[in-house]
This record gives sequence, C-alpha cells and structure tokens, in this order.
Amino acid sequence: MKTDALIDSLVRDAGPVKPLQPPLRRIWGWLALALGFAGAMVWAIGPRPDLAERLFEARFVLEQGAALLTAIAAALAALALTVPDAPRFWRWVPALPAAAWLGTLGLGCLRDWAQMGPAGLRVTPDPECFVYITLIGSLPLLALVLMLRKGAPMRPSWTLALAALAAAAIGNFALRLFHMQDAALMVLVWQFGAVALITAIAGLCGRSVLRWPGMPA
Amino acid sequence: MPSAPEATPARGSAASRHAALDSLMRAAQQGDGRAYHLLLQEVATRMRRLIMARAPWLGQADIEDIVQDVLLSLHLARATWDPARPFMPWISAIARNRLTDHARRYKRKQAFDQAAADLAEVFSTTPGQSHADGVVDLMSVRSAMADLSEGERRAFELVRMKDLSPTEAAHQSNTTAGAIKVAVHRASRKLRLAINKDGEEST
Repeated sequence: MKTDALIDSLVRDAGPVKPLQPPLRRIWGWLALALGFAGAMVWAIGPRPDLAERLFEARFVLEQGAALLTAIAAALAALALTVPDAPRFWRWVPALPAAAWLGTLGLGCLRDWAQMGPAGLRVTPDPECFVYITLIGSLPLLALVLMLRKGAPMRPSWTLALAALAAAAIGNFALRLFHMQDAALMVLVWQFGAVALITAIAGLCGRSVLRWPGMPA
Repeated sequence: MPSAPEATPARGSAASRHAALDSLMRAAQQGDGRAYHLLLQEVATRMRRLIMARAPWLGQADIEDIVQDVLLSLHLARATWDPARPFMPWISAIARNRLTDHARRYKRKQAFDQAAADLAEVFSTTPGQSHADGVVDLMSVRSAMADLSEGERRAFELVRMKDLSPTEAAHQSNTTAGAIKVAVHRASRKLRLAINKDGEEST
C-alpha cells in the first residue's frame, strides 16, 4: 500500500477519540476492583482467626502496607509506560516500596532468628501460597491488561511485568489476611518468591500479550 | 466538527511549527479529518527525512514500510496523547520505539540501534522534552554535518551510518583505526552540540 493511500484510510477510520485519563486518575477504578475482589476472596475462604490481633501488630501492618504500596506503585508505573511521552523513571517507581517490603521481611528474618534461633528460620513446603496469589491476582491482572491495551505498548516486557507485580502484590496482601503464616523467611521464600516468579514470567510474555495491533511481536 | 487550525506546520519558526502540530493533533482527536490528514502528511515527511539520513542504504520500499509503521502506530496510540502536552515528544517517542523494533528486522541492526541511541541522546541531553524537533527534523542534523571537517564527516558516515568497523573505515580512508575513532568521537560531539544549540535557539 502506498503511504498516501494509508493516510487516506487512516483518516477515514479516525473518528473523535477521548484522550486517556492520566494514570493517577485511571488507577482508582482498578484499585477498587482489585481490593474488592481480594476482599471477596478473603471473605469466601474465611479470614484468619487472629486477624484483629494482627492488625495492631506493627510488623504485620508494615509488611502489608509495603505490599499494598508496591501494588499501587507497580500498577501506576505499568499504566504510565503505555503513554509514549511518559518519563522513563516510572519503571523504577515501584522499586522503593518493593525494597521496603523486602526490607521488612529481611528484618523479620533477623528478629525470628534472634528470638527462636535456627528454628525461626526453618523453611517447609508451602506451595499453596503460589496458587492463592495467582488465583487472587488473576482478575486484577486481567483488568489491568485490558486497561494497558488501550495505551501504546512502548515497553511491553516491563509493562506486563509491572502489571503482574501489582496483581501478585494484591494477591499476597489478601493471602496474609487468611493464611496463618507469619514466619518471615517462609513469607519471603514462598510468598515474596511467588510474587517475584509471577513478575518474571509475565515479563517474558510481555511481547506476546502487549503489542501494536496488526504488527508482529 | 471543529475547524482545522489555520497554521500549517511547514512554515515559521520551530516553535510555531510545533504549536501548529499541537493544534492539528488536538483537532484530530476531536474528529477533524482535514487536520488529521495534514498531520499525518507532516509526520510522514519528517520520518522519511529522518530515515533517509540515518539509513541511506535502505530502499524506497523499506523506507515507506517504516514510515507507514510509524503512521499506523500514531493512529493506534492517538488516544494516549494528552492535549495539554506538546505533540513532538510524544511522536518522537513513538518513532524511536518503531525504529528500535525495525532494527531487529534489518541486517544493519547496529546502525539502526545507533540511530535510536542518537535519538535518545539528543532527546535526553536537551533541557526538557520540547526540543524533539532536533530529533525528527533532520534539517538541523544536515546543517550540522556541513560544519564537520572532511575527515570527520567521512569517518562518521563510514562508522555510524554505513556500519563499518573502525579498521574497515581506516582501510577505505588510508588512515589508522585510532584516527577514525578520534574523528568519529569529535564528529559526534560536534553534532550533539550543534543539535542541542539548534534546539535551544528554536524555542
């Protein structure tokens, strides 16, 4: 096709478009859906019996706060990366809350070791964490991908990895509300590990899921 | 339906050309077909110039292929442009993205990568993001090329545009690989300075 003909066909195809809202406005709808779904899952599975007690424990609140902040920052960053002229620093924004999350878990490991010795750092299989995080993160991820596909797939691998990080962090946030596992190393290995694994897999799939329509990956 | 902006992007200073592009895109988002047609033609012209300067070995069909790819991408992504922001950084980011993708499909990958890196360099070393004209409007690059010495221009063309190694370029120019590297370095620095200066003057 000649370029002039392409221009004519694009002009014919182009009706009015509503500019996308900035990520800071778009995220609230997603967050409401993600937390609503996570809340429903916690309710369906049944919250942990000691939840009220845990909510007054600084360490639990800090870890949960860091996970939630990581989810919000990652979703914001993913949305921003689909805007062509968005600053590049967006991709690093979730690094701060994620580092804080990792830091609280790391400190937790030290505390467990100081209090219980080697027994505090025992790792036993807990693979259902991965299943729950994936299950609870699935709808938030699907919703976020649909939102991202309205944007431009400028950096698909980063974008999908960040979206998966956001969804998995929400999944982990919800998991801690019904799963009685607070040993820091167990949380680090099985829960943070699951989040990291899901993020990495999504990053590898980025180019297949997010690409310019009609163009090869 | 809103009327097409009176200004056309082909004339006037860089700032007024950019303002004209902004208003064309604004009108295009609101459904003004005439404005959109003008905008796409302007982007196609600028992209064609850019690619011909950066990858002179490409055939006409390949050049048009990339130009069309950028136009299609602009079309698909047009809702992501915020009317409160300038158009040039937005389309430059899309153009760079498409160039980088095309780099994977052509044998001259390194030269395309270099073109994309040059774009990024010019883009990031100019204050703010309003000098993207220096990126897509290759007229400034061409005028800057004229200020290079013969040796610098030849070395730059052989290494950066024709993708020869310094040794191969030295062989063709009857000089040493070290001299070629120095000439390319000097040429890059002069071009960068000239393009940035041009960007600062045009705003």
